[in-house]
Amino acid sequence: MGFDKLVFYVFAAVLVFAALRVITCRNPVHAVFYLVLAFLNSAGLWLLLEAEFLAMTLVLVYVGAVMVLFLFVVMMLDINVAEMRAGMRRFAPVGVGIGILLVVEMALIVRSSAFSPEKFGNLVRSPADYSNTKALGSVLYTEHVYAFEIAAVILVLAIIAAIALTLRKRPKTRYQDPARQVSVRREDRVRLVDVPSEKRG
Amino acid sequence: MLENYLPILIFLAIGLAVGGGAMAAGFLLGPHRPDAEKNSPYECGFEAFEDARMKFDVRYYLVAILFIIFDLEIAFLFPWAVVLGEIGMFGFLAMVLFLGILVVGFIYEWKKGALEWE
Repeated sequence: MGFDKLVFYVFAAVLVFAALRVITCRNPVHAVFYLVLAFLNSAGLWLLLEAEFLAMTLVLVYVGAVMVLFLFVVMMLDINVAEMRAGMRRFAPVGVGIGILLVVEMALIVRSSAFSPEKFGNLVRSPADYSNTKALGSVLYTEHVYAFEIAAVILVLAIIAAIALTLRKRPKTRYQDPARQVSVRREDRVRLVDVPSEKRG
Repeated sequence: MLENYLPILIFLAIGLAVGGGAMAAGFLLGPHRPDAEKNSPYECGFEAFEDARMKFDVRYYLVAILFIIFDLEIAFLFPWAVVLGEIGMFGFLAMVLFLGILVVGFIYEWKKGALEWE
């Protein structure tokens, strides 16, 4: 148990440090890198809780996809830091209010009986051939099939919302239509004209 | 179960040691004589023409978000593939319905032209 605890404290310490750096970094690109570090460390913590599938999904989806896209956008976007800092005094009360609200909410949830240590008892380490993915799959597609299908509907909702918000056609841009390129025939493109040769007199 | 992941932890430690060690050695052992010209940014020997940061077309985010959505869909397939033998026909049909709903979204975005890069 001792080594587990050491690994936990290392992951947790780096996680807290990285999370603090995310909000205190001046350079947004560095902040995104610290967020990646925070995700990796929370994946480590989840792994310590034997939630191996969730830990791998966190690395695959968040670190692999979401954060890389964030990084590209933040690197390329022109962010005027001075301009963003201008409204600091005006927005500070709202920000502090929302911050306090979040802290109170988190405290209420974490201190509630659903999260109390007595509820879980001592964590029993699973044997080496235990598969968390298997345990997850055996209930997700049978017992919780309704929630699973709702997830599909939410994903479709995200597709439609993204298209509705960002897609607009530009009539002026040109692009290739392979079907038309393939189906074009000689008569459509080439016209032979009979020109009578002039006689030089 | 956790002992299966010990090699990954060791790998992480070695990776950190090698990566951090190389950078630290370069920082400590290399000569360190910066001046204003060495530190200034340049492109191919010229002064930089413009800022690398610029306005981004919003269509980039559309492609990015669509990619993430289908990435998440794939994440649902992994545990399903692991337990397919145990959950039987019901689990199979649950996934067929799940993919069917997402194919509706896929057809929508295809027909809408969201996948076309002009």
